[in-house]
Amino acid sequence: MLEDLEALYRLRLPEFRRVATAIAGDRELGCDAVQDAFARAVRKRRSFRGRGTLEAWVWRIVVNAARDARRRRPALAEPRDAATNGHAPVLPLDLLTERQREIVFLHYYADLDYAAIAEALEISPGTVGATLNAARKTLRRAFEEVQT
Amino acid sequence: MNELLEELVPRRDELGDWNDVLRRARPLPRPRLVFAVAIAVAALVVAPALGVLLTRDGAPRLPREADRSKVVVIVQPLSGRIVVQAAPWKGHDGICYLLLGIRAGCAPRGTVVLTPPLVGFTFDPRVVSGTAVTFAGKRVPLVVRHFEKLGVTFFLTRGRLPRLLREATLLGSNGTVVARLRVKR
Repeated sequence: MLEDLEALYRLRLPEFRRVATAIAGDRELGCDAVQDAFARAVRKRRSFRGRGTLEAWVWRIVVNAARDARRRRPALAEPRDAATNGHAPVLPLDLLTERQREIVFLHYYADLDYAAIAEALEISPGTVGATLNAARKTLRRAFEEVQT
Repeated sequence: MNELLEELVPRRDELGDWNDVLRRARPLPRPRLVFAVAIAVAALVVAPALGVLLTRDGAPRLPREADRSKVVVIVQPLSGRIVVQAAPWKGHDGICYLLLGIRAGCAPRGTVVLTPPLVGFTFDPRVVSGTAVTFAGKRVPLVVRHFEKLGVTFFLTRGRLPRLLREATLLGSNGTVVARLRVKR
């Protein structure tokens, strides 16, 4: 089990860090959250019942750790500053709910399918699909508004 | 959107530090030790108090044998709580006492008492000061109060709550050791 966790860490670390950074809103906090999350997974590994995949279980811990990291630092600047020159397009993540953002990050940064995201966030795959579509629609509309 | 997401958090291929993960996963010994000590102290302090509360009708009081017209008290300055009540023992050469509201009794002159190990008294008139060693191993000064009319001297630690004492050393005016008391285990 410990070897599996280590293998997962070594194989997927960039994805874990990207998602955690995006959720926490800060790279340092995100990386720290990943370290803490894996430490927690190591400590609690005997509580993993094997009902889902080990990776989904770890994703759940990483997402929770990143959320905690963000909450601990409420006065965060946005991950990317608004268009400084007035032209550069910026992803209007403010328009999304917390869950929509997490699903977007897990889908794009970790390349997880709906089933894996559902397992990681403890929701149904149908909810994942619907939430992702709603998020895409919101962002698309925002871009159209900016461009017009 | 993909491009913007790429830009938001660029991918970085890093090796990470698995040993740091293992280090963080290790339980910290100190908080456990502190927790264990806290539990032990709580058990020592709370259990007798609870025992008294559960097995007696109401809270302990100064015994009936006490001469209530001559009660003396020690008040904790910060909380205003009465930590010691004492009065002459009617018909005897000694005193009756109520310590911290949890321990009451009467003692003949000549006794030196350190029970419960939070507060004590002595009839030795030479005692003017003292130090004590707590169960945590810390040496602390004792507050010493002499009551002339009762001919008794009480001692306890400073602070809002008296500390558990393992040992008390009672000193005379010239710094000589008058008595050394140890809590029996």
